[in-house]
Amino acid sequence: MVVSAADVVLSAEGLAKRYGDREVVSDVSFALRRGEVFGFLGPNGAGKTTTIRMLVGLVKPSRGRIVIDGHDLGREFEAAMRRVGCIVETPDLYKFLTGRENLEHFARMLGDGAAGRIDSLAALVHMDGRLDGVVRTYSLGMRQRVGIAQALLSDPAVLILDEPTNGLDPAGIREMRELVRRLAGEQGLAVFVSSHLLSEVEKMVDRIAIVHRGRTLATGTLVELTDGGRRGLEDLFLELTGGETV
Amino acid sequence: MRVMLGLIENEVLKILRRRRFRLVLVVLAALLCLVVFAQHRQQQNQRRDHPERDWRAQVEKRASDLERQINQRRSIPEQWKRWMKYEAGRLRYYLSKNLNPNELTGPVFTRGFAGVGTVLLIPLLIAVFGADLVSSEFAEGTITLLLTRPVARWKVLLSKVVAMMLFTTLTLLAAFFLAWGISGVAFGWSGWGAPMLMGFRLGPGAAGGFDLTGVRMVPLWQDTFAAWGLAWFSALAVGSITLLLSVVFRSAAAAMGTMMATLVGGTILSRVASDWDGAKWFFVTNLPLPDFYAGLPTPFEGMTLAFSVWVLLAWAAASLAAAFLLFTRRDVTA
Repeated sequence: MVVSAADVVLSAEGLAKRYGDREVVSDVSFALRRGEVFGFLGPNGAGKTTTIRMLVGLVKPSRGRIVIDGHDLGREFEAAMRRVGCIVETPDLYKFLTGRENLEHFARMLGDGAAGRIDSLAALVHMDGRLDGVVRTYSLGMRQRVGIAQALLSDPAVLILDEPTNGLDPAGIREMRELVRRLAGEQGLAVFVSSHLLSEVEKMVDRIAIVHRGRTLATGTLVELTDGGRRGLEDLFLELTGGETV
Repeated sequence: MRVMLGLIENEVLKILRRRRFRLVLVVLAALLCLVVFAQHRQQQNQRRDHPERDWRAQVEKRASDLERQINQRRSIPEQWKRWMKYEAGRLRYYLSKNLNPNELTGPVFTRGFAGVGTVLLIPLLIAVFGADLVSSEFAEGTITLLLTRPVARWKVLLSKVVAMMLFTTLTLLAAFFLAWGISGVAFGWSGWGAPMLMGFRLGPGAAGGFDLTGVRMVPLWQDTFAAWGLAWFSALAVGSITLLLSVVFRSAAAAMGTMMATLVGGTILSRVASDWDGAKWFFVTNLPLPDFYAGLPTPFEGMTLAFSVWVLLAWAAASLAAAFLLFTRRDVTA
């Protein structure tokens, strides 16, 4: 597959994060391309969460650089973040507001005509007609959907989802998977999905990166990494991570 | 600018929907009803017990009681002695001008409440809604959404500072109108034009005499306006310090608890530690600006209204600066 540099919408180069003398992330690099679903895999404690928090500006990298749609995150935070939508860990919305009020709240932070997109986004995540309930009364699946609608408000180029299927029931997981595929296929978004559940990600992603002990160990398409399907992804994963439990 | 207005709208919406501010208003109204009721009863009892005495006789008796106590009792702390001397001198001067210093009307009560409320009540109420401005975003996890939007962190915090100032102002306005409205039921709403004597001063030291050179007469509305303006300034300083605590702590309970302990502790400190004059740099000691403005003796010698205004300003500025530094640099990890 030939990839031009213009296709890259998010690149992370040599990311590292150190807290005191503990290095949580040592060397993480990857590039996301337009229209692909990218799986970020690793056992718990591999540095996935810290990496994601660096990608969305919550944690400042000790080393390395993040470029989103041509904007350096460290130097042009607002321009870079306008191109990103994300859900970090659980979709924490304001529980005392309604779904619609939450979306309006975040639309006001964008300032442009984002509020006008609320109804079409609600339809996209199958929340139309249910936005006027208070979030406290929503199920986790409904919160997840409003969270995704929120992430799409700014019409981003990159969608970052941290363990998006966590806590969802099988129907919810399937629906999430289909939504992610549709966003990448029809709208050309680059979707970054972190997970420790191989089986989930396998059905959703185009390319993966395997991260272990704060380093990206392997990056490629599923076909490339599994020798055309001859090896299971699970075997590869266990081999690379030294058999640590997932 | 449009985004900034949107951010402020967001903060206002969140404060209102959290219902903390409604609690503040309810507490204010309930306390004022209680205080007005108690004062009304007291007034009635006095009239019942001494129907024969006119106000001159009452004021005369109060002044001579105070003077006798100053001279007889040695164990009275220096600070109280100074206050008693001040009060006796003030009463005597009112008598000499044939004015009743104790005439209680709604406006007089409202003016007095600025002084009483600034010491503890209004700061505590501000801590109630101010403490969770930032900490609740961390506690509820919404900080990860708030800070991953294309808005620089300093703008997010600035919108919270503006919201804090807005609601502090609303608290003061509510306190003023509730005080006037409720006290008016018992004591009448009119009387804003009544003459007030201001600018009494005690000379330095324990032996200092009563200084009348600065005394002037102003209408009550003018005195009230100045007193509530100063109360508002004190309240903004409290709000700024509360906001810093709200940035430091991830739980609203910890921020509110710390602020309340500081306010109560500080109030005790300024009453008890009259020997340690370092306490005059503490913000709580400087909060009763309306009292200092009225000329009441300050808890420490050498303190003036201007001194206290500057100390509060410095505390507020330093707190806001620290809040911005911390908020814009901190890694949001969990």
